[in-house]
Amino acid sequence: MNDVLVGAILVLGLGVVVVRRRSAALGLVALQSLALGIGALDLASERSSEFVVASGVLLAKAAVLPALLLVVMRRTPEARLVAPAAPALARLAGAGGVALVAAALVPPLGLGDAQTEQTAVALVLVGIAIVVARRPTFLQLLGLIVAENGLSLLAVSVPGGLPYVIEIGALFDLMLVVTVAAAFTQRIHAELGTGDSELLRSLRD
Amino acid sequence: MTELVPYLVALVVALPLLAGALLQLPRTPGGADRLNAALSLPTAGVALALAAIALSRGGAEALRGDLYLVDGASGVYLALIAVVGLCSALVSPVYLRSAGRSWFSAERSRHRYYGALHLFWGVLLAVAIAGNLAVAWLLIEATTAASALLVAFSGRRDALEAGWKYLVLTTLGLSVSLLGIVVLGLAVSGSGHSGLRALDWHALQAVADGLPHDATLVAFVLILAGLATKIGWAPVHNWLPDAHSEAPAPISALLSAALLPTVLLVAWRLKSTLEAAVGGGPAGALFLAFGLASLIVAVPFLWRPLPWKRLLAYSSLEHMGILALGIGFGTPLAIAGVVLHVAGHGLSKALGFYAALPLLRGDPEAARRAPAGMAALSPPTATAMGISLGTLGGLPPSPLFVSELLILLGGMAAGETAVVAVAAVALALGFLGLLHALVEGVVGEPGGRRFVRRRGERPVAVLTAVLGAALVGLTVTGLLLPGSAFVETLARGSL
Repeated sequence: MNDVLVGAILVLGLGVVVVRRRSAALGLVALQSLALGIGALDLASERSSEFVVASGVLLAKAAVLPALLLVVMRRTPEARLVAPAAPALARLAGAGGVALVAAALVPPLGLGDAQTEQTAVALVLVGIAIVVARRPTFLQLLGLIVAENGLSLLAVSVPGGLPYVIEIGALFDLMLVVTVAAAFTQRIHAELGTGDSELLRSLRD
Repeated sequence: MTELVPYLVALVVALPLLAGALLQLPRTPGGADRLNAALSLPTAGVALALAAIALSRGGAEALRGDLYLVDGASGVYLALIAVVGLCSALVSPVYLRSAGRSWFSAERSRHRYYGALHLFWGVLLAVAIAGNLAVAWLLIEATTAASALLVAFSGRRDALEAGWKYLVLTTLGLSVSLLGIVVLGLAVSGSGHSGLRALDWHALQAVADGLPHDATLVAFVLILAGLATKIGWAPVHNWLPDAHSEAPAPISALLSAALLPTVLLVAWRLKSTLEAAVGGGPAGALFLAFGLASLIVAVPFLWRPLPWKRLLAYSSLEHMGILALGIGFGTPLAIAGVVLHVAGHGLSKALGFYAALPLLRGDPEAARRAPAGMAALSPPTATAMGISLGTLGGLPPSPLFVSELLILLGGMAAGETAVVAVAAVALALGFLGLLHALVEGVVGEPGGRRFVRRRGERPVAVLTAVLGAALVGLTVTGLLLPGSAFVETLARGSL
């Protein structure tokens, strides 16, 4: 995949760590998913028709998931922005550090393209960092999608592509999980009046 | 009988999914309860028939077909999931009658509950016979969606917290597993094999010798680390106590007795498959590390006066650790112990969670504090709790006493004396902790607690008799397992 596109996919993921507004974060994830779909479609010309189908599904995901999440966002209005767990710069430094460590430590995975390998692993870790560092459940949900986009980046970059059944199956599972997570987000908002996960910390031993 | 296997495989997956759909139709709660019972029996019957065929073949080669694999381990797991799923489905009306508020509207809550329960059950049965690593992953991920809704079924704040934590943490963990599967796919395609079927367990095992060591080791570590979050191994077990304690009791039983060990089966198959590529040492060491960490983290909690379901949850952490040790040792004795432990833990843990039904109906405060003196308050509930705790603690002659002994002896045979010593001390401490809970919670003084006896006691008394007899049967079976062709085949890891 084009190096600039790969770099842009990582930067968009890091953006979700920083932005405060849910709409901005959703926009970044939608753009990231779109960039991934376009990159996959670009590779599809050299590959099997099955891969073209898988790329199409990726593009559909870039449209369907953000649309679903937009509905969720509208149904869960926040009276004011949820206070961040840490300043934006600290969050960026943490996630950026994670990405850099990933780049430095990831052994060759066999793709033959170190940049894509490192970016994919970094994105999975950035997704985990988003879940850990962001308090709104909506943004944590976006963290899951960012991590999944990292996996998709690696999967579509495999020479010849992964078996499309796996890619489509994984996307189906993601849709299922995101749908359930979206239902949770709405229910949590209805129960607490906000999507702040910091209020969900009563279960301890 | 083997010619029936493809049909039974199709039915064992299709029946619960169909049941989940049909259970959206009844117009009354009573109708939903009756249909649930009627539809549970065929699912359990087909799964048990398939299990019987698998187990009757002893040490014979696994039966393989399109994306499925039926071997001795599948037989044990199918039987366990069938029994626990059936019991959970049948006792669910007891929970639903007193559930009070729910995530869903009052008129649809039963339908949604039963739909998700049968979906969850069906996918669990499918994982036990999945013949392909990627398909097993897809199925495990699918269990998350259905079971997270069930964990948060009550819609209460604590249940939402538990369900959300479970959903997010296990999804992230499984993302790491998928990363490992992609890396493994790369390694396999580099060896000239591609397509979905290249990730079939037996296909992977056939090419494992020729796979690049470093890339395969990275893939193995990533897949296992991701699965660890779903199995609930320490240190990535944070969701486990919350989900088990907040879920409806029949669902807690399925989570602990069926889900955790079934995901562990996938980890076990992964080890059997890739051991030739990554080396027996590193593969076994990872299991031993997870096993010891889980035991050591769990034991202090077994000494604390925790609410009943939370205590059982930490016991699950301990038992998943014991199973990890057995698989890590990998000797025939240890594998005999693992097989017996999976079944014994599943039945006794499920019984423990079913005991929570009359316990929480009679004393709702028991959700937040440790039980006390149940023998004086409710003898049927106390009997179920006592049998469950005694078995889980490894009190002789329970099957878990035999299985833990076999696993430790298997560890000695593997030359892992230090690991066995640490595990033995942890197990002894865990036993004492559970014995303390047994004395205080079951036969001790009620301490002025109120308990209102209700109808939920009767079904649990029946289950206590059935599962108690099954546990005695397991102890006898366990004594026959070492040296059997069945165990020797499993220990060889041939898929």
